Amino acid sequence: MKAVSTETARLSFIGRLVPPSFAEFCDRRAEKLDLKMAIRSVATDRFTVEVSGQPDLVDAFEMACSLGPLDCLVLDYERTRIHSIANGE
Amino acid sequence: MTTAGVWHPVALSASIEPGSSAGTHIDGKEFVVWRDNSGAPHMWEDRCPHRGMKLSFGFVRGDHIACLYHGWQYDTAGQCRYIPAHPELDVPGSIRVPVFQTVEVAGMIWVATEPTESAPPAPQETGETVSVRSVFFGAAIDAVLAAIETTPPRPFSGEAAASVLRQIDGRLYALTVGSDTLLLGLHSLSGERTALHVVIAGPAARYSGKGQAHFLAWTAELRHRIETQPAAAVAA
Repeated sequence: MKAVSTETARLSFIGRLVPPSFAEFCDRRAEKLDLKMAIRSVATDRFTVEVSGQPDLVDAFEMACSLGPLDCLVLDYERTRIHSIANGE
Repeated sequence: MTTAGVWHPVALSASIEPGSSAGTHIDGKEFVVWRDNSGAPHMWEDRCPHRGMKLSFGFVRGDHIACLYHGWQYDTAGQCRYIPAHPELDVPGSIRVPVFQTVEVAGMIWVATEPTESAPPAPQETGETVSVRSVFFGAAIDAVLAAIETTPPRPFSGEAAASVLRQIDGRLYALTVGSDTLLLGLHSLSGERTALHVVIAGPAARYSGKGQAHFLAWTAELRHRIETQPAAAVAA
């Protein structure tokens, strides 16, 4: 079985957000990308989640959520690596 | 038990060559029908999970189909197996295309649009067939059936006699004229568009060439009748 790298990252999306809509958008992307996701804080100007999974898929999640759903405008985002494991070690 | 509404003919078997794909519709929904290099047919939702590109524009590579847009490759179960931009990625099982049960019966590819476990058996018809063509009409299935009854073909072999149109199962019909029998697959593309997949039930030695041309001409007559006369006149 192929050894898989994993990463846990905290992502904050900043802008003009509709929390229920943004939460649903994040949830669907995380499910599609097979990432574990936990919402850490919710506001109309900042939405923070922690996601963990393969680094490439965390990157894909970041890209998708930086665009966000149609009714939200993401102006900026921050990413902090919490920890990473290379090749399943 | 009828299979109408469950099993749909989507193409002539001869129309989808190994290593090729084509887009089609069933009742307005988009699907891709493709055949892998070993000859097995597949029918899926026509949408790459990545960016929504039609997979029918993609390329078949062995037993995978690759999206034209970013080259994501899917195996015969619809599971994404390879993403060229991330060659080391262990692609998660959640990146998957909805697939449908597919069989080949009567020289046509059939698909069940319900989940495999709840789909009734596919239509049954055995024996050699010779493909004629798929013909497309700007009319609903009922109007096409009515036109077939009022505009039957002349027999290719045997004495001229009244034609008999018989429903074998669901969307599969047999039309007998003289000593010839055509198998007809009625394919609802949408409420107002129908495809008719036509094969001859019989040996290639008898029908290849002239027999095919004979019934091909009939399909052109049929389309002309349907598309140049009002529905009420066709059904009359």
